[in-house]
Amino acid sequence: MLTKLEKKILASIQGDIPITERPYLEIAEQLGISEDTFLKNLKDLCDRGVIRRFGATIRHQKSGFKANAMVAWKVDEKRIIEVGKKMASFREVSHCYRRNPNGDWPYNLYTMIHARDEEACRKTARKISEAASVNTYLLLFSREELKKTSMQYFPHED
Amino acid sequence: MPPMDGIDREILNRIQSNFPVTPRPYLSIADDLGLSENDVLKRVIRLKNERIIRRIGGNFVPDKLGFVSTLCAARVPEDKIEEFAGEVNRYPGVTHNYRRDNEFNVWFTFIAPSMEEILENLEKISQKTGITDIINLPATDVFKIKAHFDL
Repeated sequence: MLTKLEKKILASIQGDIPITERPYLEIAEQLGISEDTFLKNLKDLCDRGVIRRFGATIRHQKSGFKANAMVAWKVDEKRIIEVGKKMASFREVSHCYRRNPNGDWPYNLYTMIHARDEEACRKTARKISEAASVNTYLLLFSREELKKTSMQYFPHED
Repeated sequence: MPPMDGIDREILNRIQSNFPVTPRPYLSIADDLGLSENDVLKRVIRLKNERIIRRIGGNFVPDKLGFVSTLCAARVPEDKIEEFAGEVNRYPGVTHNYRRDNEFNVWFTFIAPSMEEILENLEKISQKTGITDIINLPATDVFKIKAHFDL
């Protein structure tokens, strides 16, 4: 359970925090609490895993990882935990999720692969396919970003 | 790509996770890297202005906040993509939406307080746009979420 103050703190860091010498002091003042209280609560939310990652998000297209592909894999359900862990261990894989197949869409494991270009993505997918012994897969390259934002979880807290 | 030097890379590697939770975070980073606080601050401001840094802040685990999330894929005729994306993107819980090259060509993530709400919204989207071929693929196991790129 989250306290009212914790929700306020989460709301205050779900966008951009100010890039200044004392960013937390600025936010704490806006929330009407001390900087020390803010920092203690923020640290606690990080330690409890409510905040998965606190820091900078990079536009990876600008940092050399120009291409990315979502790869949908069709994996034998009996092997899926082992295969999921195996695929997650590749450094080129940023996300790896199991999802239930749906209707005529048979794929049950999804990885995001990042690489220099599309050919490198295909090569990485082949490498993962061989390492995990999964032969049925689809590369889904993104052709257009239609939306990318962060979730506003607690918009009415103040 | 705007120019980035070795120090920029070091700073970016340092601040992608565990951004210091200290009164003067840029001083903490500067101390770690043997730089001055002012230098780190100026570089981070520049990297933000050059849009290499998308944002600095918190990333949450939806279910620890009482939310659920899912991935949806829709089969949309080419000439209806814009209208469909416009309708889908109106929902604040849709955070990522990409056109991809497959017969299922529009892929979006949806976060909401409950799966019922997501299903209701998908139904509304179908009624409004006439696109009924939308598959809902909630994650049942998470093996990895990494958003740290070694530069």
